[in-house]
Amino acid sequence: MTAQTETPKAKRGLKSAGGIADRLPASWVGRLRVLAPLWTLIALILFFSLASETFLRPINLNNILAQVSTLAILGTGMTFVLLTGEIDLSIASVVTLTGVLAAHLFANLNWPEPAPTLAAIGVATLLGIVSGVASTRFRIPSFMSTLAVSLIASGLGIFISKGRIIFEISELSSFLGSGRIGGPNGIRVLVIVAAVCLFTAHLVLRYTRYGRYVYMTGANKSAARLAGVNTGLITASALAICGFTAGLAGIVNMGRLGSAQPQVINSLLIDTIGAVVLGGTALTGGRGGIPQTVVGLLIYGTLRNGLDNIPSIDSFLKEFITGVVLLVALLVNVVFSGKAPRDRT
Amino acid sequence: MNGAPTVLELKNISKNFLALQALQNVDFDLREGESHALVGENGAGKSTLMRILAGIYSDYEGEYILDGQPVRFQSPAEALHRGIGMIHQELSVIPELSVAENLFLGRQPYTRWGTVDWKKMNETAKEELRGLGFDLDVTRPLGQFSLGTQQVVEVLSVILSGARVLIMDEPTSALSPGEVERLIQLIDDLRKQKRSIIYISHFLEEVMRVADRITVLRDGRKVATLDRANTTKDQVISLILGREINAVLPEAVSKTHERTLLEVKDLNADVFQDINLKVDAGEIVGVYGAIGAGHFDLARAIFGMYRVDSGQITVDGEPFPLNHTASHAIARGVAYATESRRKSLLMDEPIYRNVTLPHLARMGLIPRASRELEMARPAVASVNVQPPDPRSPVGRLSGGNQQKVAIARWITVPPKVLIVSEPTRGMDVGAKSEVLSILLNLRNQDYAVLVVSSEPETVLAVADRVVVMSRGRIVAHLQNDATLDKDVLMRLL
Repeated sequence: MTAQTETPKAKRGLKSAGGIADRLPASWVGRLRVLAPLWTLIALILFFSLASETFLRPINLNNILAQVSTLAILGTGMTFVLLTGEIDLSIASVVTLTGVLAAHLFANLNWPEPAPTLAAIGVATLLGIVSGVASTRFRIPSFMSTLAVSLIASGLGIFISKGRIIFEISELSSFLGSGRIGGPNGIRVLVIVAAVCLFTAHLVLRYTRYGRYVYMTGANKSAARLAGVNTGLITASALAICGFTAGLAGIVNMGRLGSAQPQVINSLLIDTIGAVVLGGTALTGGRGGIPQTVVGLLIYGTLRNGLDNIPSIDSFLKEFITGVVLLVALLVNVVFSGKAPRDRT
Repeated sequence: MNGAPTVLELKNISKNFLALQALQNVDFDLREGESHALVGENGAGKSTLMRILAGIYSDYEGEYILDGQPVRFQSPAEALHRGIGMIHQELSVIPELSVAENLFLGRQPYTRWGTVDWKKMNETAKEELRGLGFDLDVTRPLGQFSLGTQQVVEVLSVILSGARVLIMDEPTSALSPGEVERLIQLIDDLRKQKRSIIYISHFLEEVMRVADRITVLRDGRKVATLDRANTTKDQVISLILGREINAVLPEAVSKTHERTLLEVKDLNADVFQDINLKVDAGEIVGVYGAIGAGHFDLARAIFGMYRVDSGQITVDGEPFPLNHTASHAIARGVAYATESRRKSLLMDEPIYRNVTLPHLARMGLIPRASRELEMARPAVASVNVQPPDPRSPVGRLSGGNQQKVAIARWITVPPKVLIVSEPTRGMDVGAKSEVLSILLNLRNQDYAVLVVSSEPETVLAVADRVVVMSRGRIVAHLQNDATLDKDVLMRLL
């Protein structure tokens, strides 16, 4: 009996097979449901464009992009890590270390560019590899290994800078962080850097074998191992990628600020994880991706920026409102993706 | 023994799982100080009956009478409160805690200051264990002791929480022969203390030693309750199977090997020892053993996912390094479908992606969806997955169809050796025979197939030769001809 009821469906499947449909996702409805956070984003944009006159102006929209660019670079690497089911708590410290190290090599040791930048990003990547090896070879949970690396990175940053701000930074880094292409009102370089990161990562995750292994490792590690995947290598490489993007974000952030600050900006870590998870990438791994991260980042950026554009809001209330909206957005995710009823069974 | 009062009684018990009738009008009774064995094939209803007894299932038809009063337990805790405790096959001790802490878990004695009375706890624990002939350092973590000792501690812990009736589910499946002896001794001691035991086991040898009475279940019905003293093992086997048994053991194998694709020599690991076996091209070898015999881990070891201590695995004449990786094995034509579909399939992903998963390495850096579909389609079609659309998610398929996907995965790129663990677990008859015919087809295409199973029907239905494993060792190599039968396999365990 079941066979009979299945047949018409099966036939439809066969008919569409072989054509364009093969490359399209199985169902667009399902795709939209996965992008439930998109509705939150649309709702936020609608709200702010009605509530504030300045919000929708091109300059302001450009501002939003610039404001989330650092987060976007960080979020790219974090997406890899979360997809494998791990976490990286060291990124904020690595951002600080990279800036301080590059500025120190450039200003105090007079290394010519691009050597300081490359060396600093190299160190950041190396720290990612250290966390990766610690958590795969030696089975230390990435939560702990990256926490330790976080202390190592911030400690090195303080040691190198002796706690002082370094004001002399290279032209390369200030170009990356605050330069514009196409005149004074042109597009900001850091937005381009962020876009390139996100786009490359999207291609890698969605189309390459490596990307498939990343998803597989996070979704079902034993299945990946049974298929002959070296899951340890995949996890370690995801942490290395995250280290690399943290390093890049460190250079860009230093260029944006115009100086190398020795204090760790801890909100970078929480905001990055917050934006990636808000977009719909699961902390447990295997689910999500760059499109989700982009949506999450834009929600974050819209919310922060939108609140600034409504002068009537008490500025001491902004943090509170941000928290409430995030919680609501997360609830919307659960309702739209239908996860709540599924978990009960 | 016949004069002993009845502790509990089940009358006319029936239980359904949706369409499946698990138990039908089953009667059962247990006397004080008695050891009552429950035997039957997989799926005969032993576990269901035992779960009703232990209060895990509360929705059943029929009466459950304890000490002369009808009861209906809503939870295992309630059953334990009334003196009915269960020892699961998988131990539920906490290896990190000390022996004494495990014994008194949730019931620690307290001092008048409200802190744990360690001294009293350790002393009582030591005494209780000594009473059973065990002299251990009760302050050491339980995980440092052998499985047998851990089991004794679990038994004792259930007794200390007040159990008069102990339900033991396959208690010896993971024990060494010496530990089995001690457990049998323990059961004797418990009987002398007027406690009653319900003993569930595949090992009829043990059942014949331990049980006072034996109840046989078949297809959800009670077939008979026998006094052990007036029963032979062969009688029990024929009751389990529902027919007369064959008297003679078949001849051992003496086949001339043409092209040996898989050869395992003196393979040793913690759960199996001295494994020697060969599988030729165009041959299915069945490895049969009860749960805990080590055969599933042997399959994993051949594939490269279980650590071995010594031995040699050779595939098509090429010796593998010790503890090779799974990707080494895959690249050299070894395929392995696990007994757990949940572990090997990505339920959210479409069929074709699950099928191509181990072969992505052959598709270059960027696997194209169209090529993947092309690659998966013939394999998916050849195993007849329903619905046949390779883009539907695996999670929506029935268990039988998921299993077909798990096999299709490995015939996409033809392997030399296909290892299948428990290929028909949890399937209805139709899906079972389909999967088995897939395996027979593969044999006819000159694969070497190793079928690892705890279900004798599965092994007998497809294997040319059968290797029987018991407690980590191969106990018999048999030719699967007309004379080989379930009862032969069961007697060898």
